[in-house]
Amino acid sequence: MIEVDHIDVAIGPVGILHDVSLRLTQGRLVTVIGANGAGKTTLLRTLSNIVTPRSGAIRFGGKPTAGIKPHLLARAGLVHVPQGRQIVPGLTVRDNLVIGADRVAGLDADTIAQGLEREFARFPVLKERQHILGGNLSGGEQQMLAVSRALMMRPKVLLLDEPSLGLAPQVVTTILKALRSLADDGLAVLLVEQLALLALDTADEAHVLQRGRVALSGPAHDLRRDRAVIESYLG
Amino acid sequence: MTLLNFFQLLVSGIAMGAIYTLTAKGLFITHLATHRLNFGQGDFLMVGAFASIGMLTAGVPAPLAVLGVLVIMGVLGYLLERFAIRPLDRLGDRAGAYSWVLTTAGSALILQNIVELGFGKSAQYAPPLFSKTRDNVINIFGVGIFFEEAAIIITAFVVVGAFYWFLFGSRWGKAVYAVAFNPEAASLFGIDVRGVVVLVFVLAALMAGISGVLVGPLVSVHPHMGLIFTIKALAVAAVGGFTNPVGILVGGLLFGGAEAFSNYWDSAFGDLYPLLFVMALLAVRPSGLFGERRADVR
Repeated sequence: MIEVDHIDVAIGPVGILHDVSLRLTQGRLVTVIGANGAGKTTLLRTLSNIVTPRSGAIRFGGKPTAGIKPHLLARAGLVHVPQGRQIVPGLTVRDNLVIGADRVAGLDADTIAQGLEREFARFPVLKERQHILGGNLSGGEQQMLAVSRALMMRPKVLLLDEPSLGLAPQVVTTILKALRSLADDGLAVLLVEQLALLALDTADEAHVLQRGRVALSGPAHDLRRDRAVIESYLG
Repeated sequence: MTLLNFFQLLVSGIAMGAIYTLTAKGLFITHLATHRLNFGQGDFLMVGAFASIGMLTAGVPAPLAVLGVLVIMGVLGYLLERFAIRPLDRLGDRAGAYSWVLTTAGSALILQNIVELGFGKSAQYAPPLFSKTRDNVINIFGVGIFFEEAAIIITAFVVVGAFYWFLFGSRWGKAVYAVAFNPEAASLFGIDVRGVVVLVFVLAALMAGISGVLVGPLVSVHPHMGLIFTIKALAVAAVGGFTNPVGILVGGLLFGGAEAFSNYWDSAFGDLYPLLFVMALLAVRPSGLFGERRADVR
């Protein structure tokens, strides 16, 4: 679904990503792990076209994404759950859920209603709190809402930027389990995480990002066993 | 002051206050979504007033004239965003943080001179919109008030109501809130951020235009009247707490009322006292009567 070929990304004069390549296919959960400042967030922002790569190519469903505006990419099914969840505080949980799906072509009122039921089944707490303002949810509830908001848009690819940030371990497990079952159902999932071991336990495939370069790639359980390597890269 | 006098002043004050509210709503919505606002908002009001005078005196029926004004204002709002706001966003950090003050105020100067070229420097009155003559008086509970003023108040409140519905009830209003919260995140969930920015500037221009149409029969209209309306709308928005739509309504009515009474006491400097009052209020409560904390009130 996503092919990234040798991209270089700079923000201003500062190079952030160097010669990064990766593949993302349906039904696979791929994780990108790395220390703070390794370029993980920039990688996702580049995939969503918020940042333009200096060189290299990105294809989504076989077509180059260069020049497509971020909101159109999202509507086409490349959906990015940003860091910090970004729940609109002044809108209700329900409004937050619908706000993206409302703008996707081909999603009529019925499919949106079905989507709501599906997400309420996935995270029952959202159903209980659907009329509460998004700003009044706990961090964990907000993260579930952020994931559900993205899923409401019927994504083909789901990008997640550190969903574990600031959450209790139990909630992190709930979220990662949900991501795992989404991938098993055929979604392409790219999970950027700082909690390397948890991410490796969940993912099929992993890339270690170090100072903007892919330092190591392979099946997640192989990397998981290689504890010494992980620790030397992640510090 | 007799009780009769009091009620008549109150009605005049509410009429002007409702117009200030409408104008200030325009400032509020662009500030909410983009943290920018049109320093020529009062001049947009002036253009709306002249466009309506021009069409009404040329014999265009009032509903068509209003429609015409709305079209003109919508186009002006789009052009303002396109040429005074968007290029600065493209420049990013290379444009100063407050360059939009200059570009919007500069656009206002251009508008003033264009209108002066077309209509001359002298002050004009718009023909009444709702009644045949200016001094058509109706009796409510024994108090005679100008029909025109009553109709203006009702119209202004209907427009404010429509504005609230848009902001809190429509999917575009929700998009405005999402962009106000975080434009980058909004684009990630499929919202056309640039479209929303255009929308709020068009809406702001429409609010100024409607204000202009309504104010035409109440005050004398001239090409350089805009600045004082910009200042008063800013004062009203500041009293209301800038990001609080309900606060702006309260601020507008208070300001309009205060102005009517202060003009009654002192016809030479009547406009001064409400502004001094606002300054004093802001010195004590810098975030206005209601404050930004309560921006999410429904």
